[in-house]
Amino acid sequence: MRKTDILDVVARKLSPYMFLFGLYLVSFGDTSPGGGFQGGVVIASGIILLAMARGTGAAEALFPASRLTVLEVVGYVVFLAAGIVGVILGVGFLGDWFARGASVAARAATVGDTATATAAAAASAHRFVFLLNLIIGVKVAAGVSLICLTLFRET
Amino acid sequence: MTELLLAVILVVAVLAMRAGDLLTSVILVGVMSLVSCLLFLHLAAPDVALTEAAVGTGVGSVVLIWIVFKTQRRVDRGSDR
Repeated sequence: MRKTDILDVVARKLSPYMFLFGLYLVSFGDTSPGGGFQGGVVIASGIILLAMARGTGAAEALFPASRLTVLEVVGYVVFLAAGIVGVILGVGFLGDWFARGASVAARAATVGDTATATAAAAASAHRFVFLLNLIIGVKVAAGVSLICLTLFRET
Repeated sequence: MTELLLAVILVVAVLAMRAGDLLTSVILVGVMSLVSCLLFLHLAAPDVALTEAAVGTGVGSVVLIWIVFKTQRRVDRGSDR
């Protein structure tokens, strides 16, 4: 494919901001529109933009395919582990098992302070969803960019 | 507003099917994806709109453009039509 100066300059200026926006979507996914999948795809499209403008070699110098493979697999395993820890601790698969928030909620519930208990449980749930979003974001970004890098390299 | 956006999606989809240049078709599919992103936003589903914008307009268009460049750009109007 013929490359022009416009594509080169725009890709180099734009892709850092795409990474930043993707990180914003991942980290604020529990309170505003966005989330792990959307942020991961935005990060991956930043990598794809680099690969289209500078060639797959330049993109793979920054994001080696072997490391992306490891990130993708580790993300899957960590996500499964985060779900199964909830089963072991007795809150169900992918239940909120953050111990500190749960203990605060239990203590407040025994006293009878339902407002504090609800607030503590909600704060704990937000932290747990943030953790899950982080894992999904890493996994999706690695997976989608790996698919496209492999496709572009082998053709 | 919803009907207008749906009508625009329909028109752009028909144009994408009828274009002789496959690169034009891919760009029109990207435009269709963008309009449906606006439709989701209008229907108060910003999460779905973000997914549509990222996957449909971003990654999907890139993959389709790559396929067009690796195969052929013109449509063969065969005798079976």
